[in-house]
Amino acid sequence: MRLKLIACEVLYREMCSAVARAAEIVDMEFLPKGLHDLGGKAMTAKLQECVDRVPAGGYDAIVLGYGLCGNGLHGIEARHTVIVAPRMHDCIGLLMGSRQRYEAYFQEHSGSYYRSTGWLERGVDLLQLAPYHSGTSTNLAELIAKYGDDNGRYLYEELTRFQSAYRTLTFIETGLECDGRFEEQARREATGKGWEFEKVAGDLRLLHRLVNGDWAGDDFLVVRPGQRIEAQFDGNIVRAVEIAAPNQS
Amino acid sequence: MTELKKLYEAILSGDNKTALAVTQQAVSEGVQPMELITNYMIPAMSEVGRRFECEEYYVPELLLAARAMKGSLEVLRPLLAASGAQPLARVVIGTVKGDLHDIGKNLVSSMLEGGGFEVIDLGTDVTPQRFIEAVHAHKASIVALSALLTVTMPMMKNTIDALKQASLRDRVKVMVGGAPVTREFANSIGADGYSETATSAVALARQLAAAVAS
Repeated sequence: MRLKLIACEVLYREMCSAVARAAEIVDMEFLPKGLHDLGGKAMTAKLQECVDRVPAGGYDAIVLGYGLCGNGLHGIEARHTVIVAPRMHDCIGLLMGSRQRYEAYFQEHSGSYYRSTGWLERGVDLLQLAPYHSGTSTNLAELIAKYGDDNGRYLYEELTRFQSAYRTLTFIETGLECDGRFEEQARREATGKGWEFEKVAGDLRLLHRLVNGDWAGDDFLVVRPGQRIEAQFDGNIVRAVEIAAPNQS
Repeated sequence: MTELKKLYEAILSGDNKTALAVTQQAVSEGVQPMELITNYMIPAMSEVGRRFECEEYYVPELLLAARAMKGSLEVLRPLLAASGAQPLARVVIGTVKGDLHDIGKNLVSSMLEGGGFEVIDLGTDVTPQRFIEAVHAHKASIVALSALLTVTMPMMKNTIDALKQASLRDRVKVMVGGAPVTREFANSIGADGYSETATSAVALARQLAAAVAS
């Protein structure tokens, strides 16, 4: 089987590791983490462009290294090749290995901010796509330069105030880290923001299954040509519907 | 006589100092608060909304315009209260339990205040019980729920269900929004309205307020 993996760069190390050990041939393409900041519709459009560039007949399936990601997968159409996506809210769940584990952790740890290698090394210094859409990717100096001192400081306060509601920084350790630098960086960030630090063990089995064609059971959504992905706000997260069906969003 | 058009321009450009100065000057010259609100502030916020829709403005510009508008409103509010003016409706707003994101919710809150509503902002991570208590305490007729994460969207349904159990569902209209929220989702959980943007939330709230009143 030959697979085409389209994944978020936030999973770069984990996906590379999974693909290196995969029994299948997997071609990889990573898209910028900044897609996440564009909002669901724009992210869907960018992902669809990428899906549409995959040549018909070239692959047995296109596998997506994404969760629903704020509806970024909602509306993606399989035109000529099967698309497979994990049933997951976002990359944090993918790194935790199951949506049940993620949802249970989320419920028990309200106010957690998550970090992984990708979130640490690909978060701020790469070109992101929409720094001013949400404003949340900007820093104080940039805001002052663009909006003046008073307004810049006000915006910084408004755009970062949500952080004061967080209590914990949860670092997901996958075992792929080269050394302790990522954990140290995460600990420094937690200390700097006055948050507790917590480390949980990652579980990459879903990523391995995704690139090994092991999609049986209810962890993955298989979208046949002629169908599209639709968000489903129950335990299944996403479903496949016929493209001809009216888009109700 | 102060040039009132400057109030419109100051809100549009997020210049809170000028907005405040023009408002204070106008009030001292005897201009009626409702004239400032109706003829300058609401049109300015509508134009801000239009620019946001066509991507001339982004979230920072919205926040700055809202800040300028709120500064002016604070000057006008005591005068409005003294004149016996009533808010269009009281809105209880919050981000649902488990979700700590507040930027969009704050924008909606500001827009609603600018649009003539009294807003009771419960903040983030708000339990269904707190929404219920606030509806009782403030005699609110609209509940506005926000969520940014798909993982917390089901809590919007839980909140609506809790309002039903508390026998409040017939007394309040529920509007929902947030980046991943869709109209289909809003319908599926029994919300009365969905707004894609902070600016269109005002028009929606007006419709809902009218429906409550009728």
